Amino acid sequence: MTDKIIELLKSSGADAWEVTDTCTEGWEFYFIRHRLDQNRVRDVEHIEVIVHRKLDDGKFLGSASQEIAPTATEAEAKKIIDDLYQRASYVKNPYYELNKKSVEGVDENFDPQKMAKDFIEVMQQIPETSGEDINSYEIFAENCKRRYVNSEGIDVTVSYPSSTVEVVVNARNDEQEIELYRMYTAGTCDRENLVKEISDTLKYGKDRLVAKTTPSVGKAAVLFSTQDSVQIYKWIADKMMASMKYQGLSDWEIGKAICDDVKGDTFTVSAVKELTNSSKNFPVDAEGAEVRDMDIIKDNVPVSYWGSVQFRNYLGVEDSFIATNFKAEGGKLSESEIRTGTYLEPVEFSDFSVDIVTGEIAGEIRLAYWHEGDKVTPVCGGSVTGTLTELISDVKLSKELRQYDTCLVPSVIKIENVTIAGA
Amino acid sequence: MKAKFSKYLNDIALNLKEMIAELAKNYDYVSVLSTDSVGFNVRVSQRVKTIDGSNLTTERGNVIRVYKDGLYSEYSFNRFEGDAAAMAAKAKGVLDRQLAVLKETNSEIYNTPKLEDEKQELFVEMETGLLPEETDLSALVDKLQKLSDEGVALSDEVIDCICAGQSTHICKMFLTPNKDLRQSYVISEGFVYMIGDRDGNSNQAINGISDREGPEIFDRLGDLVEKSFKELQDNLGSDHVIPGEYEIITAPDVSGLIAHEAFGHGVEMDMFVKKRALGADYIDKRVGSDLVTMHEGATCVKDVSSFAFDDEGTLAGDVIEIDKGILKTGICDALAALRLGTKPTGNGKRENFEHKAYTRMTNTMFDKGTSTKEELIASVKKGYLLSGIESGMEDPKHWGIQCIIARGYEIIDGKLTGKVVSPVVLTGYVPDLLGSISMASNDYMSFGEGACGKGHKEWVKVSDGGPYLKAVARLG
Repeated sequence: MTDKIIELLKSSGADAWEVTDTCTEGWEFYFIRHRLDQNRVRDVEHIEVIVHRKLDDGKFLGSASQEIAPTATEAEAKKIIDDLYQRASYVKNPYYELNKKSVEGVDENFDPQKMAKDFIEVMQQIPETSGEDINSYEIFAENCKRRYVNSEGIDVTVSYPSSTVEVVVNARNDEQEIELYRMYTAGTCDRENLVKEISDTLKYGKDRLVAKTTPSVGKAAVLFSTQDSVQIYKWIADKMMASMKYQGLSDWEIGKAICDDVKGDTFTVSAVKELTNSSKNFPVDAEGAEVRDMDIIKDNVPVSYWGSVQFRNYLGVEDSFIATNFKAEGGKLSESEIRTGTYLEPVEFSDFSVDIVTGEIAGEIRLAYWHEGDKVTPVCGGSVTGTLTELISDVKLSKELRQYDTCLVPSVIKIENVTIAGA
Repeated sequence: MKAKFSKYLNDIALNLKEMIAELAKNYDYVSVLSTDSVGFNVRVSQRVKTIDGSNLTTERGNVIRVYKDGLYSEYSFNRFEGDAAAMAAKAKGVLDRQLAVLKETNSEIYNTPKLEDEKQELFVEMETGLLPEETDLSALVDKLQKLSDEGVALSDEVIDCICAGQSTHICKMFLTPNKDLRQSYVISEGFVYMIGDRDGNSNQAINGISDREGPEIFDRLGDLVEKSFKELQDNLGSDHVIPGEYEIITAPDVSGLIAHEAFGHGVEMDMFVKKRALGADYIDKRVGSDLVTMHEGATCVKDVSSFAFDDEGTLAGDVIEIDKGILKTGICDALAALRLGTKPTGNGKRENFEHKAYTRMTNTMFDKGTSTKEELIASVKKGYLLSGIESGMEDPKHWGIQCIIARGYEIIDGKLTGKVVSPVVLTGYVPDLLGSISMASNDYMSFGEGACGKGHKEWVKVSDGGPYLKAVARLG
């Protein structure tokens, strides 16, 4: 169907066009305890079409997009493309050009059957006790193939594995039973890491059973040591997205430090082409641009914008791409050197959010550790809030790094002066 | 006009019935849900404009559900390769390979009874003003552009005013050997999102509309520009709240968020099966004050999740979850109902045909009371009127609640002082929060913008709402 759509696009009158054809074979297993609730297969194809049209003598470019079902008849596909050509004239955006540099893809198959089997076996091997065990888990293993074709001569296919395991663990004593939630995404099954992560979560569950209420300490240092820390680095990277900058949602500028009066470590964040077993190791991005290693922010100073070709064009940034893997450099101290003094270490939030526009962070604490020197008290309840734009000038980043799927980041980040509302 | 049912689905129905007959030779239960939902998403700002023929609820595809030996299995697909027999063989082949993996790993099955398959036919074409596929998108772009221009003209502090509308003509067909259910309806939603900056600090305000109606509802978006501007000004001039326990008045959107997070997720009965919800132990027990009555169901209000049947072929319902503070029942998908020995409530929903069906909310609403909003405010000694929602998170196992609210308007001695705090994180223990509800206004509004996830995935459309409520909560 895709080739037929391409032929229709070539004769549509469009000044430029793009087609993305994504095929996914996904195997899914849903378990309650270790008993199978349901098994599922996804065998699907999605064909996304974008039609571009020069307007006002090429000053503007109109664009319209839509998915064309693989079951569409040729007549249906032609009508959709004709409609898109018409619709493109309704939206006048500043002119930009699609990617045209020749790129190499990678086309191989990954076996979802093997991936899924590996996950089932790992989950069966997690050490459980009468006090801490697995409530339920969902396994998603996918073989994905994405072909991108545009009017400028790019026709490239990338294939990649993607997997997710959602796990709920329980811990109980004579008085109560509690649960903790985790979702792990990666390329294929990383047995060792998964066992470690879930074992850690089971330990957290045990601690939550004896947690006291979070003290109302006003402002204090908060140390992030779990996947939640990724959101802080992602916020920094997202502030450098070309679309954010162009739309006025980021005031960060190339060459101008993102904060003054730095008391701790500075941030160095880069886009990287590959990370071990990332679910997004693409040599080519979703718009046909080559992916490579590229600094985004170096020592708190913005270096490069990244993102969609449209917004990069508007900012005059040619040699960039849609980044999917990120690396944040470590700081001056080791994790053990940072883990001193009085601080709160939240390891489970109901939801930890970072507002991309305001930089506000917020999360209700389901489990944290209140560290006072050598004394460590598990606590729960209350919340952590603050504004990153104010907080990033006083942080400590560990030398050690840790990977969470698409992000390699310092294993801990300690932020001073975060507001802690007690339970 | 009637939202006409999909010709495509009518055309493939016979082929699907043949596939069902083929699969029924090997399985004890077979159903197919087929979807063909078309729509658009138009977004206009000062800097960029987009028209997309796809949105969260547009889709075309099929999911087969089969049952044998206590196990339900599903095959989602959107290509027909060969005739019905070939497609049935393909589905069975890959599902058999999955069973082989289960055997190799010595995996046990969660043995579940077989679904009933009684004779049932339904054909519903609901009323709509306009159809998304016949909408003049040129005129809609112009309308949204005008609103965006009006928004940014209000102040130099406004960075941009993004105005958007999306609409979907949803068509779904559910078939078994004995059932033939077909429904067609239109949902629409739009929003005005204003971003501003004052002294280098950025902030935002968003307001939306939604309904089970056509794109004609976008005529109401104009009312939201001034409202969003005022709220943006409030946010830009706001302070942070001093953490502590306060009397609060929740605006209907915040009341809805609390309903959704507290006893929406909290009584999804697939969580009862997994023993993940405290609610299972509290049926017929008090979980809120006498003023708390809560409905959940596709028919309890008309909004974006008001359908005729759910994604498992169960007819829509209206469940009274909490009656005058007493938890009466939960909501249930078809398989959880079988496992719990109860009846499904019409809450089996999928993100789309590719996803598993879970127990999901439709419309979750607090009943209204008899007081006025002004009476609620006048009764507060020291506290906040909370309005605007950013996000929420459920915790059915422990009944914790987290709601991130856009802003709080300070009330001292029964009067709004003009001071604003933003954002506000409301946390607490659900029965304490609902138990503290002491007044409810006579307003009643639902809100269906945005989407709801289960855990951190499976996004579906829902609505929620109710009246203004007075309660006591911890704010941070």
